Amino acid sequence: MPYFSGNGLSDTCPRRAGNLSSVVNLLTEDAMVKVGIVGLGTMGRQHAEAYRQMPDVQLSVVYDRHMDRAEAFAQEFGATVAHDLSEFLKGCEIVDICTPTYRHTEYALAAIQAGKAVVCEKPLARTLQECEQIVEAVHRHNALLMPAHVLRFFPEYRTAHQLVKAGALGTVAAVRMRRGGDFPRTKSDWYADFEKSGGIIMDLIIHDLDWVRWTLGEVERVYAKSLTFRHLEHLDYTLVTLRLRSGTIAHIEGTWCDPGGFRVSFEICGDAGMLEYDSQQMVALRVARRAEAGQAGGVEVPESPAVENPYYRELRHFIDCYRAGQSPEITVEDGMEAVRLTLAAIESARTGKVVKF
Amino acid sequence: MKVKVGMMSFAHLHADSYAHCLLNNPRAEFVGIADHDLRRAQQKAEQHGVQAFDSYESLLASDVQAVIICSENVKHAPLAQMAAAAGKHILCEKPLMTRLEDGQAMLTAARGAGVQLFTAFPCRFSPAFQQLRAMVQAGEIGELLAMRGTNRGVNPGGWFNDPELAGGGAMMDHTVHVADLMRLLTGQEIVEVYAETNNLMYHGNFDDVAMLTLTFEQGIFATLDSSWSRPRTFPTWGDVTLTVYGTRGVIEMDMFAQYLRHYDDRAGRIRQVFWGDNIDALMIDEFLRAVAGEPATTLATGEDGYKAAAVAIAGYESIRRGEPVKV
Repeated sequence: MPYFSGNGLSDTCPRRAGNLSSVVNLLTEDAMVKVGIVGLGTMGRQHAEAYRQMPDVQLSVVYDRHMDRAEAFAQEFGATVAHDLSEFLKGCEIVDICTPTYRHTEYALAAIQAGKAVVCEKPLARTLQECEQIVEAVHRHNALLMPAHVLRFFPEYRTAHQLVKAGALGTVAAVRMRRGGDFPRTKSDWYADFEKSGGIIMDLIIHDLDWVRWTLGEVERVYAKSLTFRHLEHLDYTLVTLRLRSGTIAHIEGTWCDPGGFRVSFEICGDAGMLEYDSQQMVALRVARRAEAGQAGGVEVPESPAVENPYYRELRHFIDCYRAGQSPEITVEDGMEAVRLTLAAIESARTGKVVKF
Repeated sequence: MKVKVGMMSFAHLHADSYAHCLLNNPRAEFVGIADHDLRRAQQKAEQHGVQAFDSYESLLASDVQAVIICSENVKHAPLAQMAAAAGKHILCEKPLMTRLEDGQAMLTAARGAGVQLFTAFPCRFSPAFQQLRAMVQAGEIGELLAMRGTNRGVNPGGWFNDPELAGGGAMMDHTVHVADLMRLLTGQEIVEVYAETNNLMYHGNFDDVAMLTLTFEQGIFATLDSSWSRPRTFPTWGDVTLTVYGTRGVIEMDMFAQYLRHYDDRAGRIRQVFWGDNIDALMIDEFLRAVAGEPATTLATGEDGYKAAAVAIAGYESIRRGEPVKV
C-alpha cells in the first residue's frame, strides 16, 4: 500500500494541517465522507481533530451520554448532535467508536448491522465473547472494521517495526517495552472500574502486546504479575513476560502509578544489534510550565512534534481504505487477538500460573 | 597492622579490579596470587608486583589472613573449603555457588573453622543504592508495591559460556547482584521464581537472555532481566538498574549513570566514561576492616550470597518445569 511505503508518510493525503478551507471548497458535497463519533472524551476529541484536517471528511454527527458535552463538542466541530442511536446511525456512513471499552460492542454491532464502516478504539471489546460477536458480525455483513491500535501509526514504533522486519537486528532475542505514567482520570472514573476498563493490562499495555504480536509473531505463553487485584485506589502496575513461538522473550511494563509523567520506552535486542527508544530521553521539544492551581488529571496523550500526528495517520489510513474498498492493515482478528493476549495476562496475574496458547 | 591478603585464581574478570583495590588501600598488604593456571599466576603476580605461589596450598600455608576467590563459578566451593580449613577469612566472587549443596558446604566449612565468609556484592556499596535504600526505609514512597530490575551486560565469553565451569549462562552470571539488592531493600526473602531464557543472542549451549519474575514473602513482585543482551557496540559493559514503586511514589536507580559520553574517533566508537565512586574499593575496604575485627555493616555475608544464588538456581528449575517454583 503506497500509504505505508518509504518513511511511512502518506502519499494520499495533504501534508499540512492548517489552511485547508480552500481545498475543501474544491470538493463536491458528494465526495465528502460522513463520519460520526460516539464517545466524546479524550479519544473522541483526538479523532475529531484528525478529521478536521481531512478535506474529504465531514464530522457530520456526534453522540454522547452527556448531552451538555455533546452540544459543546458539536458546536466546536460543526457537527449535529444525535439524541439517540438510530438518529446517530442515520447521520453518517462511518462510525467511530470512542466510548469506554465496555460499551464498544453494543455500538459496533449496531453500526455493522446498519451497514456502516466502523473504526473502534482499542481494545476491540471487553471480553472474548464480545470480540467473537463482532468478528462474526463483520464477516456476516462483509463489513469494514478497523480496531484503532494507534501505536502502529506512531512513527517511532512504526520505524522500529520496519527495521525488525527488514532484518536490521538479525534474530530478535529479547524485547523490553515500557508504558505509563499516573493514573488516568476521567469524568466517570471508568478506568478505575476493572469490569469496565479491564485495568492497566487491557487498557494500557494492550498497545505493546499488539505491537509485539504485529512485529514478532504469535505468543506461546504468558506470565504476569499485577497490582490490579490488590484494588489500590488509583494505583495499578503490571509486569508481563511473553514467550513467543519464535523463542523471543518480551517483557512489558505498564504503570499507572508513576507521578513522573507519561513515558514510553522500548528496547529490541537481536543477534546483530539493538534498538532503543525512550520518550523522556529523546525529546525534540521540551516545554516546562509552572503549574496553576487546580490543574491536574485527564488522560495523557503522548505526542512528539510532527506534520501528521499518529491519530491522523491512523484515521487517514482507514478513510483511504474505505474509499478504495480495501482492507485496513489492522484486521478485526488482530483486535480480537490483542484482547486475547490481555485476558491471558490478566488470568496469569490473577492465578499466578503460566497461561499457554 | 596491615591485613595480609592473597588471591585465589584470576579466572574471573573482576580479579584485576580487586587487585588494584588491595594495592591502593593503605590497610592492605597484597601478598600474592595462586592459580590453577600457573602461567596466569606468574603473569598476574608480575603485573601487580606481588608474589606468585605455585599452588593454592602454598598460598594458604603462608601467613595471609584472608583470601579473595575469583575462580570459575563451580570452583568456588572447593577453594572456599580449602581456605576455611586453613583458617583464612574469605571474600568469594559471585555467584557464591551454582548448586545448593555446594553453598551449604561452604557455609558449614566457614562456620566450623570460625572464619568469616563474605560474598562479593559491591553494588550494595553504591551511593545511589544507599540513598535509595535510605529513602525507602524512611517511608518516602510509602509502602513498597513492586520493583523492576536489570543487570544486563555484554557476553563476557570464555569460561562464562561453558556451563560446566559457569554452572549456567547469563541467568547464573547476572541474577545475583540485583536479587541481593532487592532482598536488602525489602528485608524480605524471595519465595517464588518464574524464569524464561533463550539463546538467541549467541546460539550456544548456554542461556544468553534471561527474564525472571520474583515474588517476595509479603506479595511484593518484581522482574529481573539478567541477559547478556548488550550488543558488541554498546558504549559500556552493561547496567544495573532498579526501579521501586510505592504507594506514594517511584524511585528509579540507574546505578552507573554517572558517566561522560565519549565520541572516540580513534576507537571508532562511542563509550561511556564512568566518573562515580569505585564500589569495588568501598567493598574491599570493608572486607579489610572486617578481617581486622571491625563489624561489617554493608558487606554481603555467605548467607546473603547463598540466598541470591538460590534465586538463579530456582530460575533454572523453573525453566525445567515450565512453571513458577518455590525457592
